[in-house]
Amino acid sequence: MNNKTSGLIITLTVIGIVSAILLAFVYQWTTPYIEKHQAKAQEAAVFTVLPEAERYQEVTKDGMTFFEGYDSANSRVGVAMVVTGGGFQGNIELMVGVDLSKQQINTISILNHQETPGLGARITEKAYRNNFANKPFGEYQVVKREPTDPMQVEAISGATISSEKVTIIVENAIQKIQQAYGGGA
Amino acid sequence: MAGQLINDFKNGLWQENPIFRLVIGMCPTLAVTNTTENGLAMGIATLFVLLSSEIVISTIKKLIPSNVRIPSYILIIATFVTFVDYFLKAFFPSIAASLSLFVPLIVVNCLILGRQEAFASKNPVHRSIADALGMGLGFTWALTLLGAIREFLGMGSIFGLQILGAWYKPMIIMVLPAGAFISLGILVGIMNIISREG
Repeated sequence: MNNKTSGLIITLTVIGIVSAILLAFVYQWTTPYIEKHQAKAQEAAVFTVLPEAERYQEVTKDGMTFFEGYDSANSRVGVAMVVTGGGFQGNIELMVGVDLSKQQINTISILNHQETPGLGARITEKAYRNNFANKPFGEYQVVKREPTDPMQVEAISGATISSEKVTIIVENAIQKIQQAYGGGA
Repeated sequence: MAGQLINDFKNGLWQENPIFRLVIGMCPTLAVTNTTENGLAMGIATLFVLLSSEIVISTIKKLIPSNVRIPSYILIIATFVTFVDYFLKAFFPSIAASLSLFVPLIVVNCLILGRQEAFASKNPVHRSIADALGMGLGFTWALTLLGAIREFLGMGSIFGLQILGAWYKPMIIMVLPAGAFISLGILVGIMNIISREG
């Protein structure tokens, strides 16, 4: 009995140790690539939401990280920030870029989400993201038909909740940016 | 001997196709086949895990006491699944993003554990390889077909290429889980008719 039990323990321990060692190597091998992709995705997102920026720098204000974009003349053209909020399933992580002098959104970029493929996942598509292009700061209203007012956001058909959640996250981001930058340029 | 290997291989492709015949591994089948690409990627990821774990388990089967064989198999499978997860994230980030949490869930795909129990733990390595390739490819083609049907009807495209024009009003239900059940049921029915006549 004793012998048998120790045999079981030894088997599982050995398998566990071997797989842990193998995975440690795999982790070491893949991590630089994974980090590179994430950094690249973030960089691409900053330039998407701050189209006029030539370069950008990370700034920490009130414990939050912002990306300030500068043009070739070295003047600040906009501010971007990453915000996370609940979606229809799981969290949605997106980046919002704003033009503080015009008090409007440039555009948004979805970084991570777990929305339903083919429905909520269409928040990543240009047709939906363009809803936020050049929108004045404020509260938005999600509508199910062609927007008639600049403060309206057209929902994706079949994914009203995802559309609303993104809108809430964007509103939230604008509030945070306005707080940190005092609402003005 | 070669004939036996071919039989082991062909078994999973049609006669005992994991999806249409054995109806196992339904979680990824229903969840990720909303597009052709997702179906294919999930199929290949599963094929890799199945093949590697069948090779390892049929090699070391005599060293594993039968009382702890299931936890041992799960540990081995989980190791390969974690490898696939990191690998996809590092080299195919877009596929990793669309499959997201279904990659780690390959661990609990009963197709993989089922083949270890039913085949790899009783048969030599070369036959296990043939079985894993057959079952894995059988799983892959079934997922790809299911994904193609659902993407075609639900979005009017295949592999992301728009085939049907703007006049086509997509059947949204096809990209939702209900669409998976409907298309799977119809496909299983068609397979039954074909095998009965054949």
